[in-house]
Amino acid sequence: MKNFDEFSRPMEYTSPMDAHLRSAIRNWAQKEVMPFRRSFDEDWLDHKLIEPAFDKLMGNKGLGIQKALFPSEVGGWGLGQSDYLFRVSLVMAEELGRADTGMAVASMVSFWPLITITVSPYLNMDLCRQIAPMFVNADKAVFAANAMTEPQGGSDVENMELLKGKTLKTTARLEGEEWVINGHKLWPTNSGGVSSLFGVPCTTNPGSDDPNAFAFIFVPVKTPGVAEGNPYEKAGMAADKNSDIWFDQARVPKSYRAHGPGTDKDAFYQLISMGQVASCGFLTGAMMNMYERLYTFVSTRTYNNRPLKENDAIAGIIGRIAGDIDICRILAHEAAMIGDRRNTPYGDPIISPQTIGRIRNIKDFVSDRAVDIIGQAMDVLGAYGADREWDIEKHWRDIKIIQLWMGGKQLCQMEAARWFFNCETL
Amino acid sequence: MNKNLDAIFLYPLPWVDDEARMFADTARDWANKEIISDRLNYQKNYQELFKEKRRILSVDIGFQRLVLAEDNGGFGWNTPSSAPGIMNVFSEIGRADAATGYVTAIKYVIFATIAMEHNMNKNLCDILAPQYLADEIKTLSLILPGAGRTGEETPLFMGRSIRARIEEKEDAFILDGEALRPMGCGADADLFCIACADSDRQPCVAFVPAETKGVIKGEPIQQTGLDACRNADITLKKVRIPKENCIKRDGVIMEIYIWLNLLLGGVSIGAAMNFHEILDEWAESRVIKGGEPMKENPLCASVLAEVADDIATARLINFSLSHIMAQPDEWGKVGDKGIYTFAQMIGSRVQRLSLNALNRGMELMGSAGYAKEWHVEKHWRDIKTIQSHLAGLASNAPVMMDVSRFFYNSPEVQK
Repeated sequence: MKNFDEFSRPMEYTSPMDAHLRSAIRNWAQKEVMPFRRSFDEDWLDHKLIEPAFDKLMGNKGLGIQKALFPSEVGGWGLGQSDYLFRVSLVMAEELGRADTGMAVASMVSFWPLITITVSPYLNMDLCRQIAPMFVNADKAVFAANAMTEPQGGSDVENMELLKGKTLKTTARLEGEEWVINGHKLWPTNSGGVSSLFGVPCTTNPGSDDPNAFAFIFVPVKTPGVAEGNPYEKAGMAADKNSDIWFDQARVPKSYRAHGPGTDKDAFYQLISMGQVASCGFLTGAMMNMYERLYTFVSTRTYNNRPLKENDAIAGIIGRIAGDIDICRILAHEAAMIGDRRNTPYGDPIISPQTIGRIRNIKDFVSDRAVDIIGQAMDVLGAYGADREWDIEKHWRDIKIIQLWMGGKQLCQMEAARWFFNCETL
Repeated sequence: MNKNLDAIFLYPLPWVDDEARMFADTARDWANKEIISDRLNYQKNYQELFKEKRRILSVDIGFQRLVLAEDNGGFGWNTPSSAPGIMNVFSEIGRADAATGYVTAIKYVIFATIAMEHNMNKNLCDILAPQYLADEIKTLSLILPGAGRTGEETPLFMGRSIRARIEEKEDAFILDGEALRPMGCGADADLFCIACADSDRQPCVAFVPAETKGVIKGEPIQQTGLDACRNADITLKKVRIPKENCIKRDGVIMEIYIWLNLLLGGVSIGAAMNFHEILDEWAESRVIKGGEPMKENPLCASVLAEVADDIATARLINFSLSHIMAQPDEWGKVGDKGIYTFAQMIGSRVQRLSLNALNRGMELMGSAGYAKEWHVEKHWRDIKTIQSHLAGLASNAPVMMDVSRFFYNSPEVQK
């Protein structure tokens, strides 16, 4: 094998944007991230090193990926309306994840709330016209956050199949031509002073499981009544800031609701599969970079005075590691293709139980393999495994949260069981 | 529910005598008072803050002298029969902070090579103990065989490269070695204990004060965990040490591995037991699915069960190792191949079980398990770092060779 890019991916799934996008992001990563990423952990609060790299990735003077989802009529790339949204997202996630999964998450989560209004059939052109300018006209990186998780109940909001939003405590009340938002959110990626815009899942009727009560409302961060806490310090993912957010009588125009009763829930539910596909890409990207570093170690260090990779027992371990990366990459592409088949006669709607169950299942599997094999790779390095210098430990710390987020492993297992076994009461 | 860890993570009581239980209680008091009750203040600058805590443990309480004979001013735990008790003490230290446990364990292991009753080197004890186990806290570091470099042909210990060389010259020994990797504390060490090979390619152990001419410390290495224990690569350039600072004894490197596996197993188990305490509180107070306590959900309960199972199993098998070590008349001396094999096998398993407990339990804590505030992620990083250091090289492949060689009589397998 000549390099990491030869890990398997179904070439039939390649989108027209793949080659260019991969090359552009890889060049950006090589220049703007790889030389600095070992210092990112100490930059977790100030982002002095991290911010310039984001500008060159997301802003107009760089690659400009922050406008990707918006329709071309409002200055975007039209990705949200394309047939290859999921596949291109996977490519982005993988290339960014190879460099730094924290940067990958922070930049791609900016897409997350925007999906509710930019992806067919939930395109809301009026709202796109209002919101797009802050992203498409900016030279610097502009972030958005999906303010989803609440203090009690954690990822309950992502468990829509069972709870239908009834545990949401954040409320939206319509007063004249404005929504008034009240509530408390925890941990959104791109909180803690990073974002310009929040997408807020909330309820118009607290305690109700009526789908019509679920609302998804955009709240600009500078809206009076919006407050953020200081970023949390974490095990890894330094490029991704998270904090508390409070909404206290925060007022936004009525038109800032994504769609309306009933449709908001469906448009929001697209986020689950998109988030899981991107997660798969972050993980395969990190795994491929781990492979690159592991390759160097096992080729230059010895056991029994022979290169590690030439020892049968060690080859058994590293062979399994590489084999798992190969399988995970194929699965990640399949997950993306499940999403992109949504508009075909043989595809399923993105919010259907079968799509959600299958994609969650793949993400759960890829997460487990990534946590396991990156940990094993550290052990192959032995006394060097915990060194920042070898980069593998950084991936190990960073990716653990990917396994834990969006309801974590257990919700993935429940969604899979619901689909594969027709469970009705879980 | 019973919150007494000893009452739920059962262990063979008769193997730990009253004196050993008293020491463990003292360590637990230190852990609760000095560290666990004030953890939020320790999120930064572990190295400096924990140095003081380590000084209290090692000097004021005196645990650094556990291994010394009473003649040398120690506690007299210098026989293998103390293994169950000492392992128990290290679990209590690890429960508070694995890095403190790690540094303290390395110190114990290094002195065990010269202070154990059956291998007592009184001369070296008399020289080193007053310098390194006195009122001022000193740090010791250990360099073991490990990864070689391609193009290098080195003497081997069970397939692992011994990259430090020692040569006899008149009334002294001269050591050389390039970019040697200590198990920890290389940056701060006052004394190095170095596995090296003599001109006959035979392994031996050298004690090298850090201030000796020709000892060059590299830049501190940033690592995943064990934040209070700064490591650095060490280069030795014609380092001259007195002859008495070198031990050439059959099985001495095996002895080091055996004690390391036992004590670092204890440290990781202690960290995992503290994680259990945190997770217990979390699962009790957390409500999921709109009203169900987390611990009452069958899927979450099965994860909790796996966490408890892993910790309990790790503790029991590590106690078994300590018991094997404590019975030299039955099973052989610490330093024998059989004991070495069991130590490698059990040590490797204990680290895997402890880490798995953390990995699985963190699934239930979501983001809280990942945030520094809850302290879980620190235990997770610390155990992983210990596991990687202890494995030393190539995951557990060399350990598997050790085990296979013993159980299946295949002496030539990667000798």
